Amino acid sequence: MFCYEKILQYPINIKKPNPLYAKIIISQYGGPDGELGASLRYLSQRFAMPWGELQGLLTDIGTEELSHLEMIGTLVYQLTRNLSPEDIKKNGFDSYFVDHTTGVYPASAAGVPFTAAYIQSKGDVLTDLHENMAAEQKARTTYDNILRLVDDPDVCDVIKFLRAREVVHYQRFGEGLRIATDKMNEKNFYAFNPSIDKCRK
Amino acid sequence: MSVRFAMWELHLYLDTHCGDAQAAELLNKYAEKYRELLREYECKYGPVTADDGYGAKWLKSPFPWVNGGSDC
Repeated sequence: MFCYEKILQYPINIKKPNPLYAKIIISQYGGPDGELGASLRYLSQRFAMPWGELQGLLTDIGTEELSHLEMIGTLVYQLTRNLSPEDIKKNGFDSYFVDHTTGVYPASAAGVPFTAAYIQSKGDVLTDLHENMAAEQKARTTYDNILRLVDDPDVCDVIKFLRAREVVHYQRFGEGLRIATDKMNEKNFYAFNPSIDKCRK
Repeated sequence: MSVRFAMWELHLYLDTHCGDAQAAELLNKYAEKYRELLREYECKYGPVTADDGYGAKWLKSPFPWVNGGSDC
């Protein structure tokens, strides 16, 4: 089960609203490499993980991604406070505003709604761990791109924290992959899938 | 909440290094410190988890996305 802690993983206090930044950053809420996809991916894949280390790793990283989803939602919320009609129009935020006002909706920066097609849960430990390492790098690149487009230090500070977490998660998934291959057939990792096939003795 | 973060980072590390006694000991030290700080924080700002309070007490401080409500 899940319990809520009434704190953010990293503090966020945006002083200057900026709907253009909100429109860019929403991609990490419901976009193709965003935190919603990340949490659903790991929390779904974990059921097919054959060993405790990997079940723990996916549960814990998937849970942390939920706290990152909350942080991205917080950024979007704080960046869209007290907007004038001119603010909404001049920054291209009008296309988001007409459908969602300033509500936080899981979509990409281009306005494409979130879809589970962004993720995979393949039931194969090697396939899933490789997908996860790639996913962390894709999220890291997205944060790099956000840092290229945003120059408010209050926002960048939070984005840099989230970017660093992608790097740590990539490292941990790499270690998870190593643990998996160490436990599998050294001569042929693909000989069988330990979550469904039994090793013949 | 840097102590909370240090604990979490060690927790993740120990998923893939479950035999590392030094890291486990460090995590226990942080956990002890966190319990003290959490007591202080909750006295000032109210409960952090649903188990620590309900109703008016739970709702007294702003939710963390509200500006200024998350800095601790």
